[in-house]
Amino acid sequence: MQAKAADTRKEMSQGLLAVLFSAPAVLVIAATILAPFCIAVFLSLHNWNLKRPGRERFVGLENYIDWLTDSDFWEPLRTTFTFALLAVVLIVFVALLISLLLNEKFAGRGVLRALLLVPWAIPSVVNALLWKWLLNPQYGLVNAVAYEIGIISEYQNVLGSMPSVMIWLVIAYSWIHIPLATLLLLSGLQTIPGDIYESAIVDGASVWQRFRFITLPMLRPMLSIVIIFEMIFALKVFDIIFVLTAGGPADSTNVLGWTIYTETFRKLDFGAGSSIAMLLGGITLALAILFYVILDKGVEQ
Amino acid sequence: MKRRARIRLVVIYVSAAIVLAGTVGPFLWLVSSSFQYERQLLNRPPQWLPNPIVLDSYREIFEGAVLGEASGVPYQSRIFLRSFANSFFVAGSVAAIAVLAGAYAAYPLARLTFRGRSVLLFGILASRLIPALSLAIPIVLVAKKIGMSDKIVSLVFINLSFILPYVIWLLQSYFKTIPLELEDAGRIDGCSRLQVVHKIILPLSLPGLTSAAILAFLLTWGEFLFALLLSETPASYTSTVVVSLFATDVDVSFVSIITAGVVSVIPPIAFALIFQRFIISGLLSGSLKG
Repeated sequence: MQAKAADTRKEMSQGLLAVLFSAPAVLVIAATILAPFCIAVFLSLHNWNLKRPGRERFVGLENYIDWLTDSDFWEPLRTTFTFALLAVVLIVFVALLISLLLNEKFAGRGVLRALLLVPWAIPSVVNALLWKWLLNPQYGLVNAVAYEIGIISEYQNVLGSMPSVMIWLVIAYSWIHIPLATLLLLSGLQTIPGDIYESAIVDGASVWQRFRFITLPMLRPMLSIVIIFEMIFALKVFDIIFVLTAGGPADSTNVLGWTIYTETFRKLDFGAGSSIAMLLGGITLALAILFYVILDKGVEQ
Repeated sequence: MKRRARIRLVVIYVSAAIVLAGTVGPFLWLVSSSFQYERQLLNRPPQWLPNPIVLDSYREIFEGAVLGEASGVPYQSRIFLRSFANSFFVAGSVAAIAVLAGAYAAYPLARLTFRGRSVLLFGILASRLIPALSLAIPIVLVAKKIGMSDKIVSLVFINLSFILPYVIWLLQSYFKTIPLELEDAGRIDGCSRLQVVHKIILPLSLPGLTSAAILAFLLTWGEFLFALLLSETPASYTSTVVVSLFATDVDVSFVSIITAGVVSVIPPIAFALIFQRFIISGLLSGSLKG
């Protein structure tokens, strides 16, 4: 009661304290996120090419209209969606299986959970290097294993053609993203009370029925979070493309992240680059909200 | 019943073995490859374990750093150790500053009642929704204009702002778990808010602060986009940039590329395994609790 009284007495100074305490962090965030965001909007409405200095001018929505009427936008968008869909499905599916395993009690469970942090800790660029070596067309381990057990009769250059390049890109990308999704789903599983399962067993529910009617519905909030986060990450994929495929072969892995990079930092067209980056940001946000609404509704039911 | 229990165990351990192989297998192969001769790497079928253990590619990195061009090793190998040091500097600075600034920002969000509290919290979190790629363009443009490109201080600053929202979120949820009574007792004894933070909240939050610092270090260590765009010379290359220079160069031997990859993940993997409890609790509370 006393503390409460003290709190109301100091109402004014609490606001001031909050401002003072959070000022350093807020200033840094404002300087490097809010200000650049405003400049990015500004650039996207201008003709701004560093190769042609002195010709900068306001063009309104012209950059956006140019992109929206150009297959150079729609093709990468389709590739981005394909990649993101495959990656999210693979990540969530594998993470769900591993989290179900880790939710069981067995000796060595803690060690296995700790080792999940090995792929998680590997930076995306090093991951790309690792898979470049694993998938090497002449000496790669993936080729060697597939050849030795007789799946293939000669070594393949999987990064050299569609659809294998997309499949392996998704696998390589997912490898370092599965651990976090697994840990999140595992923490969701651990909030499900054990006695629900026990009474279900008494009622004669099979393993599948228990999964389908208890685990899945109760895990749904966490599943939604994981799906939305992984989707946001996958839509802006860039690092692994840079090292592993550079958008190739023949633009087959040219995602929007890669288009933004080449447009801006190779062609030096900052206006066009900014506007397509805005489009990607808008699409990501819209999808995140859409997914949130759909998945959240499901939870309420 | 006994038979079912045995089947359950078999299923569990077979699955666990598959997960184990898939989790550490690819990386172990990278490590094994780094200790072989280049010509052994070209063997079919591959040589699973190094025999003998060859340290040439590791020596290359040290010789290259010390002797420079006279060492005769590839350019990337010569600049690698410097980039490694740069990564340590950037990630270490970001971790220290982010936890310090983040702790002060997190305290009012966790404990004080003031107008705009939820707006502040939402704003901090929403800043992370803007894709880094769209911010990269103006940031690079401005950095070049004001002469801050190609400086590792700029990298510290940029990474800081991307890490801070995360650290603030994590710490404010940790601060909320500290019993309010302890704070009230301090206040009754005449502590100011600042003293409460210094003498009660921060000491009791050491596990939370550690989690935040380690996560900040690891996330910064692996950052690539800004490290690539804001660096022009080896003076500001981080290890991820040099790894990308290795990996996209067809003239460098496989074993040099592979070794660079292995060395550049020694700090994050060592940290991850040593501090796994802090990391797992940090990852979970950072993304879940409010």
